[in-house]
Amino acid sequence: MNKPLNNCSTKTTCPYCGVGCGVEVSAKAVLSEVQVTAKGDASHPANFGKLCVKGSNLLQTLTPQGRLTQPFIQGKPVEWNEAIHTIAGKIKDVIAKHGPDAFAFYLSGQLLTEDYYVANKLAKGFIGTANVDTNSRLCMASAVVGYKRAFGSDTVPCNYEDLEQCDLLIMVGSNAAWTHPVLYQRIVAAKKNNPAMKVVVIDPRKTASCDVADLHLAISPGSDAALFNYLLNETDQNNALNIGYVKSNTEGFDQALEQAKPWTEQATASFCGVSEQELQCLSQWWCSTPKTVTLFSQGINQSATGVDKSNAIINCHLATGRIGQVGMGPFSITGQPNAMGGREVGGLANQLAAHMDFTTLGAIDRVKRYWQAPKMATQNGLKAVDLFKAIEAGDVKIVWIMATNPVVSLPDSAQVRRALKKCDLVIVSECYDKTDTTELADVLLPATGWSEKNGTVTNSERRISRQHSFEAPKGEAKHDWQAICDVAIAMGYSSEFSYQGVHEIFAEHAGLSAFENNGTRDFDIGHFSQISEKTYNEMKPVQWPVPIGKPEGTERMFENGQFFTHSGRANFVPINPQKPAEKLSNEFPLTLNTGRIRDQWHTMTRTGRTSKLMGHIEQPFIDISPQDAAHLSIVQLQIVEVVSQLGSVKLRANIRSTQKKGQVFAPIHWTDQFANNAVISNLINATVDPLSGQPESKFAQVVIRPVEKLLYGYCISQKKLNFDDAAYWCHVTLEQGAHTEFALQEASATSTELFEKAKSLLSAKNVDIEAGEWLVYSNPIENVARFSFVKDDVLIAAFYFAQHPMLPSTHWLREMVTSQSKIEQHQRLGLLAGKPSNGVDHGRIVCSCFNVGENQINDALEQGVKNLADLTRSLKCGSNCGSCLPELSDIIDSKTIEHA
Amino acid sequence: MLMKTNNRNIVIIGAGMAGCKLAQSLVESGRPDIQVTLIGEEAKAGYNRIMLSPLLAKEITTKQINFVDMTALCSQGLRLITNDPAVQVSYKLKQIILASGVEVAFDEVVFATGSRASQLAQFPENIGNIHGFRNLNDVSILENINNDAQVVVIGGGLLGLEAAVGLVKRGLNVSLVHRAGHILNRQLDVAAAELLQAHLEALGIKFFLGHSPSKLTHEFAQDKKIVTGVTLEDGTHIECNTVVLATGITPEVSLAKSSGLLTKKAIVVNEYLQTSKAHTYAIGECTEFNGQTFGLVDPIWKQLEVLVSWLLNAKGAPSNQNPKFKIEHSPTKLKVSGVNLYSVGDIGKATDKNSIVLVDRTNSEYRKIIIDNGVIVAAILYGNISDGPWYFSLIQTKANVSHLMRNLIFGEAYCNSESVINHAA
Repeated sequence: MNKPLNNCSTKTTCPYCGVGCGVEVSAKAVLSEVQVTAKGDASHPANFGKLCVKGSNLLQTLTPQGRLTQPFIQGKPVEWNEAIHTIAGKIKDVIAKHGPDAFAFYLSGQLLTEDYYVANKLAKGFIGTANVDTNSRLCMASAVVGYKRAFGSDTVPCNYEDLEQCDLLIMVGSNAAWTHPVLYQRIVAAKKNNPAMKVVVIDPRKTASCDVADLHLAISPGSDAALFNYLLNETDQNNALNIGYVKSNTEGFDQALEQAKPWTEQATASFCGVSEQELQCLSQWWCSTPKTVTLFSQGINQSATGVDKSNAIINCHLATGRIGQVGMGPFSITGQPNAMGGREVGGLANQLAAHMDFTTLGAIDRVKRYWQAPKMATQNGLKAVDLFKAIEAGDVKIVWIMATNPVVSLPDSAQVRRALKKCDLVIVSECYDKTDTTELADVLLPATGWSEKNGTVTNSERRISRQHSFEAPKGEAKHDWQAICDVAIAMGYSSEFSYQGVHEIFAEHAGLSAFENNGTRDFDIGHFSQISEKTYNEMKPVQWPVPIGKPEGTERMFENGQFFTHSGRANFVPINPQKPAEKLSNEFPLTLNTGRIRDQWHTMTRTGRTSKLMGHIEQPFIDISPQDAAHLSIVQLQIVEVVSQLGSVKLRANIRSTQKKGQVFAPIHWTDQFANNAVISNLINATVDPLSGQPESKFAQVVIRPVEKLLYGYCISQKKLNFDDAAYWCHVTLEQGAHTEFALQEASATSTELFEKAKSLLSAKNVDIEAGEWLVYSNPIENVARFSFVKDDVLIAAFYFAQHPMLPSTHWLREMVTSQSKIEQHQRLGLLAGKPSNGVDHGRIVCSCFNVGENQINDALEQGVKNLADLTRSLKCGSNCGSCLPELSDIIDSKTIEHA
Repeated sequence: MLMKTNNRNIVIIGAGMAGCKLAQSLVESGRPDIQVTLIGEEAKAGYNRIMLSPLLAKEITTKQINFVDMTALCSQGLRLITNDPAVQVSYKLKQIILASGVEVAFDEVVFATGSRASQLAQFPENIGNIHGFRNLNDVSILENINNDAQVVVIGGGLLGLEAAVGLVKRGLNVSLVHRAGHILNRQLDVAAAELLQAHLEALGIKFFLGHSPSKLTHEFAQDKKIVTGVTLEDGTHIECNTVVLATGITPEVSLAKSSGLLTKKAIVVNEYLQTSKAHTYAIGECTEFNGQTFGLVDPIWKQLEVLVSWLLNAKGAPSNQNPKFKIEHSPTKLKVSGVNLYSVGDIGKATDKNSIVLVDRTNSEYRKIIIDNGVIVAAILYGNISDGPWYFSLIQTKANVSHLMRNLIFGEAYCNSESVINHAA
């Protein structure tokens, strides 16, 4: 890490999920070294000092390896000046020839509000196109449209305290335990303090979040809307309507109820694949619990009917008047740290700016005047999926991609690749030199990273927080807003894009939000429109709206029952529940669900850099039920080919007793940088919700085939070796050295042949294979062969091959390679056995914070530890970030069952 | 003639390890009705032949080579005759005649005549500087040869290796000639043998493998033929002034033959160690059972148990109560120059397909386990042999080890704590 800018503490925000936790980074001079530590900011209202495992390991991701530190054009390093002028010239040229819509930005919920603001301004006011879309399209676009349809504005009514204050929490399409761990821990704590509080989890899968659930409804994938139509119907049937609220504050109730009527217990149970008893329980709790929050996330949004699902939820809250008060409301939680900020500036193709749309009366003219813009876009631009189709069609000729990895994250990755290969000019602003997307860039711009950036982000409860830099930019890295402004200036817009500092952008953004607002628009942060640099730097987290005269902000929206529709009333939307677009077939008989795992973030460009976050789950996998596995003759950890109509991937089979028959689940994180063929988007159809443009990323019909005749293995070595010719490979990050898991086609290779292969793999990396000793183990009966190469008593490389995919634990070997410690005499057998016989193997790491492994936990349980509290006390596991607590409970439970 | 008493006279011919140990078992049984007499041709009885090499290397003293405390046995009633070989057995007179003419009466006689170093047929006789390596006398001869002597040891079995080690540690120049392609070829496979050879080469022993000696060159000195060199089949010539013959052992059966016992390769015995003659038994390297002869101690100690039980308890014809001798694959535990070796089972069954192998040359560790239908049939351990008994027990019980296969080679501790991990969630 570079030397921090200041020798004190910096308060900033975490760059991962939408919880938006405050982080305190402290630099302390210890002897001649500067020690930098990061911990949760105790004063931040999102997390009060807590951090999850990803947040706790933020500093570990700040390694200089692989950072992009200078601009490149067609792979050649250039000066920034040349890059800027090339881009500006090309944009001017292309829009002159083909019109402004031949240009597009593809942005990211990782960007800061200020970056977003200038990009949106340049495109929509100066180039003249609304082709500004973002990866937030993949995340919460459906929730945005759902809110707008109901409230007339994209307004999240709730805050995090509501999750603690409610008596019934319905989590739907959210595995918060893994995706929003700090918020989940707040819920767990609230439930502990309020034993009357009930939690319902609605999810096709039994996730870690079910740990806290009093009721888990494992509905058929995509059937959520029916469940909420049922609840609306039940509300009516059980006289739980808030008739006064419905009459005075809403419109369209009758039609919505009419549509919900057919959703009886029986019909819903059959549609959703749950029992009538479960529905009765949900209905009873719902009808009798005024303080109810429905927390929803990607499971609702990533659907061809995601908007309808949002509205089905909102309908229920409007019918009961459960909105705008403590402990109530329909709460969409965002995936990304600044998806909300992007929405606020209007950084989506179907928004103009500052929560104004192109269709908002007078908005285009108002924004034009405020920006003094020469060339306003006048209508919606292309949403993400359509944008990449237009690129492939040649309609869009320049795309500037910032802080995102669309080749991995967008559905139908093959199409995205084709589009970018075809595009005249692909500009990619990135922190890292090698991602699946940078490989297709014509111009590569080095961007500053989290630790170097200044600006604001907005979390899921509308709370704007400052992000502060604590390091100097690496090499030539430039802030994204600066790069955009430089291009704008080079295009001739110097007076409109010459900012003295990032605070000026924020002030301009705040000014626009208040400009001719007068309470007509929800988003108003006019209080900040004259903000000075000093005040900006001292800004405390605050929830918008923050209009002039209300510096304390706004905790909760719609407290007065007034909405931003023409009538001021909220809209019910009649919902006709639909199953997912793609239909089941004999050819593709399994339903694929997708999601995240606890310790990885998006496409692993950051979290994949530290072994601490790799320890939890190392390889791309697919969860499959024991019944389906048996039917397909799949054994645990076998490599399987997962095929959809669009493409195929190779993953490890993870047979799970909790996985439902007919359904499979795969995490979305792995890219071509980490595994040879594990990009899940390859399987996903580019089917989108027609209203929000959000892809149905949580649904695909697939067929699974076990890959036969493979030889499994791994290599743990000081140098990363090349396994490109393997049928499967996956790199697992280590702090030092390399760990590659692989499966080779050479199932019948002899031990001698494999020995030669191991030697040639090492030789290819210039390791002198004669200048050390080889330890050899060969077991032709089980087709096991292992070779370890040792030099001066230090392990250089260990190659383990086996016909069966179950291999010995890698933990000790990794420790030996990473620490480069001397192998003791009594440990040598361990180089071939995988661990020394008298050594302690902690097993798979469950608690990444304290490095507590499964074996240690099992040992503690064997020794009489009975419950979670005792386990945590004795091993410390789970006592830092708590992300592993569900898993710890699982382990305790399974042990209890074993002993019962 | 020694006095005949009313007791049963059990006479053991041969005071090697088997004979001494048998005498000890019988005497220590404390039976007043049994008189044990032990007849030996060597001056000293009761020493451990296995320890000749360290004795030659001066790593142990003559006191430390003692195996059976003969003084104590004599005080308990053993009649010990040394330095006076038996030359004739008269069944008619029920007496044994010694070289000195002394007659020893017997009721029951046990042949424990052991074996001698095999001679090479193609070598001329009466050569002054060719020695065996079988007894204390051989050691004392070898102890007295010149420090600058060039010694050729012929035979790369255990005996030859031990002789070579003992000699090289005395500072002599030692070459070892062995007709098989690798040393200890009956106990070790090529890989283990190579490890051992490398270790012995580091001590200074030079190896000539794969060829038998075809002739000796010699000269006359003081009217005696003296060997000056050994020529191998491939023409290699090794100059020397001492030859140690360790090409194997030949059971000593001349007395048994002349006494009318049935002999083939050795004295034929049944499962009770009875010979073809009534009241006559045999034990040790001089015996042959089911066509097999014996050169290692383990089966001989088994013979001892059977024979002791028989001699102490037999009433007339054998019954099911009597233990029987049977051939088992008993492990060969060897220690050559500090290197532990453990070999058990039929190592000849090894193929590329059925052998689990572990090699760590630098650490001098080698393991090979041979599997047949899920059962271990043989094992070779080099270096660390602590798991030897465990493998041996698995061989004996014919335990199916299929479920242990992945960790089997790492030994008992690993197999008891087998854990494989699930890489996925």
